Amino acid sequence: MSDQFTGQLSAFLDGELDDLARARLETHLGECLDCTRTLADLRAIVAAAPRYQGQEPARDLWQDIARRLGEAEVVPITPSRPGPPRAQRGAVQPSSNRRFGWKELIAASIIMAAVGGGAMWVALGRGTPEAPFAAVAPELSAPQLDNAAFADQQFDAAVRDLELLLAQGRDRLDSSTVRTIEQSLARIDDAILEARNAIQRDPANAYLSRQIAANMRRKLNLLRTATQAIAART
Amino acid sequence: MTQADLDRDDVLLAAGGDHDAFERLYRRHVARVASLARWLLDPGDADDAVQEVFIRVWQKLHTFAGQSAFGTWLHRVAVNLLVRRRQTLGRSRRREISDEIPVLAAAGISERPDLRVAIERAVDTLPAGAREVFVLHDMEGYKHHEIAELLAVDPGTSRSQLHRARLLLRQQLAT
Repeated sequence: MSDQFTGQLSAFLDGELDDLARARLETHLGECLDCTRTLADLRAIVAAAPRYQGQEPARDLWQDIARRLGEAEVVPITPSRPGPPRAQRGAVQPSSNRRFGWKELIAASIIMAAVGGGAMWVALGRGTPEAPFAAVAPELSAPQLDNAAFADQQFDAAVRDLELLLAQGRDRLDSSTVRTIEQSLARIDDAILEARNAIQRDPANAYLSRQIAANMRRKLNLLRTATQAIAART
Repeated sequence: MTQADLDRDDVLLAAGGDHDAFERLYRRHVARVASLARWLLDPGDADDAVQEVFIRVWQKLHTFAGQSAFGTWLHRVAVNLLVRRRQTLGRSRRREISDEIPVLAAAGISERPDLRVAIERAVDTLPAGAREVFVLHDMEGYKHHEIAELLAVDPGTSRSQLHRARLLLRQQLAT
């Protein structure tokens, strides 16, 4: 046993010794049973450590987490679900409570999704970054963000591009994965359609606006994640 | 179906807003994340930190490119958040360096059938500085220069703490 050599065993295991130090230690290991045993034990520890299973928290944290996920859920709109109280006519709304229309909200989501969509074109080698990006996310100005028609068109364009990428690359995914994606997209589409129908009857309902925006964002995120999965398999 | 397959499908669903899919991801991974939090923070902070990790992961799911296993990505997010949280909370753990080399056990431990579980338990007993470096290097696969950056220590300190941790664990496991 030698403190000098014992102190080098970890560095030896991790391949961090230079040639000379490694050769000296290897010579020592041929003569020292204690250091050889120590090295075997350290090697066993290093091999076993990454396979730890962990210990669950003493209490289940999921309910708290689920509550904090906020409105990120895909929520089907049902007639029984109460909306927030309407503001009375003439009531002053605090500035922090400004309610955005769903088209304004989704416009912001489109910008994010479009960046991903453009990146996927590059990743898949199907075009230059400029062309598809320009098709999905043109220069945006404040007046444009307020333009409802713009939001509709841009959402449709972003979805079209991502759906095209998904269609072109679907054979790179397992059939079960494709089925999972399609079922999820169908569920989101149903939720969007239901909310759009509902908001036609109640155009000022902020809750419905938020649900439409959230579900459209979900759809873009799902499509983007799916195309990223395809790109990762390319 | 492997866990990686299950994760991949659930990530796709969760990115579409599916809470059930995200709960399945949570159930499959919470034990390791909770242990990480307990090892890198004070036990009293661990539960809150675990919640923060999964909320952050939910928010970032759409950025997961699938080029690595979901678990690997999750742990990177977790470690970054846990280390930042510790800094925010002002946890500046004493990273003591001792010249004392633990007494070397005579008996070998490599034959222990319960070695993996025993290591997990023994990690709890390590001094904070040695434990942090061992967890990040040997359990999570970080390099010394990455650990040095994360913990604001010298890479040499990281190496010393790692060696000390391994010898302390060997000693603990041999008893």
